[in-house]
Amino acid sequence: MQNNSMTKPKSMTFVLYLLPSILLYTFIVFVPIVLAGYYGFFDWSGGVSKTFIGFQNYLGLFSDDEFKKSFVNNIYLTFLCIVGQIGLAFVFAAMLNSKLIKFKPFHRTMTYFPSILSAVVIGFIWNMIYDYNYGFLNTMLTKLGMSQYVQPWLNNEKMALTLVSIPLIWQFVGYYMIILMSSMAAIDPQIFEMAEIDGATGWKKARYITLPMIKNTLIVCVTLCIAGNMKVFDHIYVMTGGGPGDATNVMAMYAYKTSFVSYKMGYGSAMSIGILILSLIVIGSTRYVLTRLSREKE
Amino acid sequence: MENSISRPNKIGRFTLGFFGNLIILFFSVTCIFPAIWLFYSSLKTKAEFHADPVGLPQAFNFNSYVYIMTKTNMWIWMMNTIRNTVLSLVLILLIGFIVGYFLSRFSFLGRKTLYSYFLIGMLVPIHALMIPMYVLFNKTGIGDQWYTLLFPYVAFGLPIAVFLVESYMHNIPKEIEEAAAIDGSSFNRTLFSIVLPMCKPILVTVGIIQFFSVWNEFTFALILISKEALKTVPVGLTIFKGQYATDYPRMMTAMLISILPAVALYFAFSKQIIKGMVAGAVKG
Repeated sequence: MQNNSMTKPKSMTFVLYLLPSILLYTFIVFVPIVLAGYYGFFDWSGGVSKTFIGFQNYLGLFSDDEFKKSFVNNIYLTFLCIVGQIGLAFVFAAMLNSKLIKFKPFHRTMTYFPSILSAVVIGFIWNMIYDYNYGFLNTMLTKLGMSQYVQPWLNNEKMALTLVSIPLIWQFVGYYMIILMSSMAAIDPQIFEMAEIDGATGWKKARYITLPMIKNTLIVCVTLCIAGNMKVFDHIYVMTGGGPGDATNVMAMYAYKTSFVSYKMGYGSAMSIGILILSLIVIGSTRYVLTRLSREKE
Repeated sequence: MENSISRPNKIGRFTLGFFGNLIILFFSVTCIFPAIWLFYSSLKTKAEFHADPVGLPQAFNFNSYVYIMTKTNMWIWMMNTIRNTVLSLVLILLIGFIVGYFLSRFSFLGRKTLYSYFLIGMLVPIHALMIPMYVLFNKTGIGDQWYTLLFPYVAFGLPIAVFLVESYMHNIPKEIEEAAAIDGSSFNRTLFSIVLPMCKPILVTVGIIQFFSVWNEFTFALILISKEALKTVPVGLTIFKGQYATDYPRMMTAMLISILPAVALYFAFSKQIIKGMVAGAVKG
């Protein structure tokens, strides 16, 4: 019990309590990053023999069209999800905060529900919705007399990525909606009352009062959304496995296939580092731009 | 139309309210409907499902349930998932509580660095670690064991736990521990029998967030476990998919069983769960 307080334990206690957690955390989170950086320098199929090839794997990433394609797919999904998830979530949250909507607790519980399901289940459910022979979508189209639109949805190279984004959007609208609602509920209702006296309408209230008041929360949501979409894997693995062709290939999926299907562990490791850096750049730069933009407006 | 909203125009208000309610209701229904579809389809026979994938079953048929529970590894996977979830939660809460407590209460060399070090973990995209982690686990021999998955689950669960506990501790006055020390309570005793119970609300929040993330975790379970007897429910489902690609009711039954524990928990405590998960997200 030396310095600032009588409750401070001995240094030995500190070590005993903190060291195991620090070691575990370092071993699982940071050692793999260093290892990936190291293995990235080798031509290695996972066996005993490794051949040192310098920066070849890392440089190879820049000329790998499939990697570029999968990165673009990540960005495309991120874009759709920001618009779809946060856009819909904003509209629903604004609606649910108004007095016109009934059964609010019911809507909260229902729209949040998909967020607690595993990506695997979500993926399979949507596989069954898109299924050609017995899928929900095709069955409904036939029943409604629109059988000309019936098709093997996820085999359509042009549409597959967009179709895959729908479950992703759908699953988390409720999640962002609740986040936005809690931030909207914190706005002083008097501001709205005064605006109403001044003749502001529903849309104008949303645009000129709600939006600026919750912009910090919106930035958090966008960041979460980007981080989530840069690492999207489970949904894709289950629904399409990256196909047809490489239409729905995303970075994590490509890294998985490179390492565990083609057994190019060295290249896969280099790719891991690439994914890490790209994700941090994308998240960091959007955060920077958004905070700058929101400050300039003031 | 625009003015009708701000003025006390009853027809405009009614129309807006009507369509607003309708749109929200439609979305709410799409969120729950897939689970309902799984449920009533699981009671159909294969032929019945093929005849009409959307319609209700003609009779209750529990064959799929009997098959899944007796002829497959579902029980094993379920037990593995439950074990992983319970043990991970206990460890995350305990370690997270200890680290969070030390970081918030005491000033020591490297405190700030350590705090940021734990927070950085939230930024690391876990899918970038698949390959090195696979290699690391297999080389050190801790891959493919009953405890294998506890390592990543606890390590990646720690940042949010540390973060939430650390900020929660600021609300608890230091005098409590000082009073306990004066009364002769040892450091360990104060920590676990006085401070720990006071942190219950935030530990519940952490527990809720981590329960769903561990219960549903897929990637680590996919690459770090290859023994059939150690697989978890989400990975098990992908095996089913390969085996019963054409038997939809059976597949849907398996999916329904796999989500049942989480769904039951959700509908029993939805209010607290939503609050907890969102609190974690916003603060994180």
